[in-house]
Amino acid sequence: MADTKKAAPVQGTARLQSTVHAQGMMQAQNTAHAQGVAQTQGMTQARAEDATVNVPISDDARTQVVFQRDEPRRAIPFPRLKKKVKRDRHKRTKVSIFRYAYYDPAFKFFVEQVLDCDYLQLPKATKRTMELGIQNSSDYVCTPFKHMMGDWIEALEMGADILVQVGGPCRLGYYGEMQEQILRDMGYDFTMLNFSHGIEQGYLGWGREVLKMVNPDIAIPHGVKQLLACGHMVTLLDRARDFYMANGGFECHHGDFHRAWEGLLDAMRATTTKAQIDQAFADAMAEMRAIPIDKPNDPVRIGIIGELYTAIDENSNLGLDEKLMDMGVEVARTLNFSNRYTHYNEENMRRTIAEYVEYDMGPTSTMTLAAAKKYAQLGFDGLVHAKCAGCTPEIDCIPVLRRISEDFHVPVLYLTYDTETSDTGLMTRLEAFYDMLAMKKEAK
Amino acid sequence: MQDIRTIGIPRGLLFYQYGVLWQRFLEELGYQVEVSAPTDRAIFDAGEAASVDEVCLASKTYMGHVAALLDGGRCDAIFVPSYDSADVRAGFCTKYQSLPDLVAATFADRMPQLITMRVSKANDRKQAKADFLELGRRLGAAPRRVAHAYKVAQRAQDAADAAAAAAQQETLHLLDKYRKVAASDPTGAEQPPLAILLVAHPYIAHDPYIAGDILAAIERLGGTVIFADQTDHAAAFKRSFDFSDTLPWLINRQLAGAITMLHQQVDGIVLLSAFPCGPDSMFDDAIMRNVQGVPILNLMIDAQSGSAGVETRLESFIDILRFQGKGAYLHG
Repeated sequence: MADTKKAAPVQGTARLQSTVHAQGMMQAQNTAHAQGVAQTQGMTQARAEDATVNVPISDDARTQVVFQRDEPRRAIPFPRLKKKVKRDRHKRTKVSIFRYAYYDPAFKFFVEQVLDCDYLQLPKATKRTMELGIQNSSDYVCTPFKHMMGDWIEALEMGADILVQVGGPCRLGYYGEMQEQILRDMGYDFTMLNFSHGIEQGYLGWGREVLKMVNPDIAIPHGVKQLLACGHMVTLLDRARDFYMANGGFECHHGDFHRAWEGLLDAMRATTTKAQIDQAFADAMAEMRAIPIDKPNDPVRIGIIGELYTAIDENSNLGLDEKLMDMGVEVARTLNFSNRYTHYNEENMRRTIAEYVEYDMGPTSTMTLAAAKKYAQLGFDGLVHAKCAGCTPEIDCIPVLRRISEDFHVPVLYLTYDTETSDTGLMTRLEAFYDMLAMKKEAK
Repeated sequence: MQDIRTIGIPRGLLFYQYGVLWQRFLEELGYQVEVSAPTDRAIFDAGEAASVDEVCLASKTYMGHVAALLDGGRCDAIFVPSYDSADVRAGFCTKYQSLPDLVAATFADRMPQLITMRVSKANDRKQAKADFLELGRRLGAAPRRVAHAYKVAQRAQDAADAAAAAAQQETLHLLDKYRKVAASDPTGAEQPPLAILLVAHPYIAHDPYIAGDILAAIERLGGTVIFADQTDHAAAFKRSFDFSDTLPWLINRQLAGAITMLHQQVDGIVLLSAFPCGPDSMFDDAIMRNVQGVPILNLMIDAQSGSAGVETRLESFIDILRFQGKGAYLHG
């Protein structure tokens, strides 16, 4: 112990002496003085290694020293001023979002990349899902409510910690609170991220809600970047689906398009960045374009219009678009998530149907009517209006659709889906509708 | 718009909520106003014939009133406002939002002249005033006259609402007094009063054709009807946030607030909904789940319902209330 204590100052002096030999006499005197105080000032001695210490220097020299930098400036170790608030860790809570058409890759991306949590992928809906939903909903609430109730119960059974519900301008805005209440009454314990909260402040309110309810450690700039990428993915999915619906009915070998489409969904589920999303889309589109098709010059064309959930979601509309494609129909559907949310200008869209409506009639009404008129003008053979039972805004569209149908001589098939709609019954109606359109086309 | 002298207002939907305002505003602008007659079988049937099958009972009734005004031939135009849901916590069912276009499309072959307007935030006085001033300007009235007309009309509406709220307070007060008298009666022969809170949209509760039978039955069975929609609107709206954070509809909020304020002062609650009312499909469920301690009867009316079934249910409900009043199972 005693040796080591002594050793430090002695070593210091020795080093000092070695530098003295290299310098001239004057410095030697100075260092001799320094040697005397070495015992008490260990630290200042170490600094005295620098040969310029205690050497009187002119002002010129000083400016030279300041401005001459032979070696790159080193970063000065600086005390951290701010405590780090965000922790870099992935939160291990399982987040689940209801089943909705083909958007689950985007939901997965949102949960993993934006919320930075684990995503709980729900398997395909079964009859049991539907029954659970019906049992636990009020009987005349609109049908998507029942589908979602079934989804939530299955998600909670599979171990979900957080459920994500969106808000909307119709009954959808009250779904979250009501479903949370029903599930709590059933005895489940969970957190619900309900985007009906914070809606007054828009994105800011939703951001706060997410940080509060789900994960306070989200790196916000990264989250925003990934949220934009998520929106991009939705747009690309919709674009790919549009291509699929336009050509899927004419493939030479049955099932090619479906395989390519499923491949796209799988590839999208594996993406983590915008570049990967673009790559997955490009690959899938190349694959779909390479599929041999046998498309007549003037195929039967049908436009699907209707309500945002039922007209898109194949689980609740019993695969409406695929059924039509199987009959050899070119299907178009303007209504999708990206057209409604990521780039949507309601007022300008309403201008195109100014002779029919003056006001915004509800959440997707303008899009339904504008799409109907556009399809009619493009010479589509027929329209299919798909909505769930009790959808007030879409029911109110029907009188206007009847006028469009009369003015443009375009037949409209009105389909109302509830939980009892049978697959066979739907098939019969669609076949009859198709036969009528095909016969009308032949007669022309 | 220059040749319009008489304006018709259909007695349906939001007329029961804002009718005084509309009527007075148009009258102050110098128009003759004709409100369609109270609903009867013929009006309802005409409305049902004109409507799509799936719409709600109240919407069918409204179409009936429009048809009645068109048939009457005395009106140069019909006033159909659009109340929308720009205010996310005090919005309206999309039915009211689409009403002008719905009427125009339903009666397209008769080409009715409609006076329409958009009220984007009904609960925001400033915005509502701006919307009505805009309507007055479109109708070609001088700005000062429009401003005055709106002021008078809004005052009349406020006075009507305040009078209804005051009457309700008075009734509750009297019931309370009467209850004390009945309780202090040593013989026990005095029957305590039964206060029934009727929770329904105003166009259901005050429409004689839709709810008349039910009101009569309650009174006949000795109940006193308290209308939830007549509670002070502003206070009820405020209280409704205790009930729900995200309930999006103004009228349902007023009803929810009324229940929150009054449920301890009434003996039973009757929820009355027209089939298939969108907001009520969820709101009724929320009430049934959250309001505890007061017996609730949930009645659904559709066009086919005869009064006998409803009366039986009301009778048994009131029997239960009387039984509870006597101590029910507690004192065997």
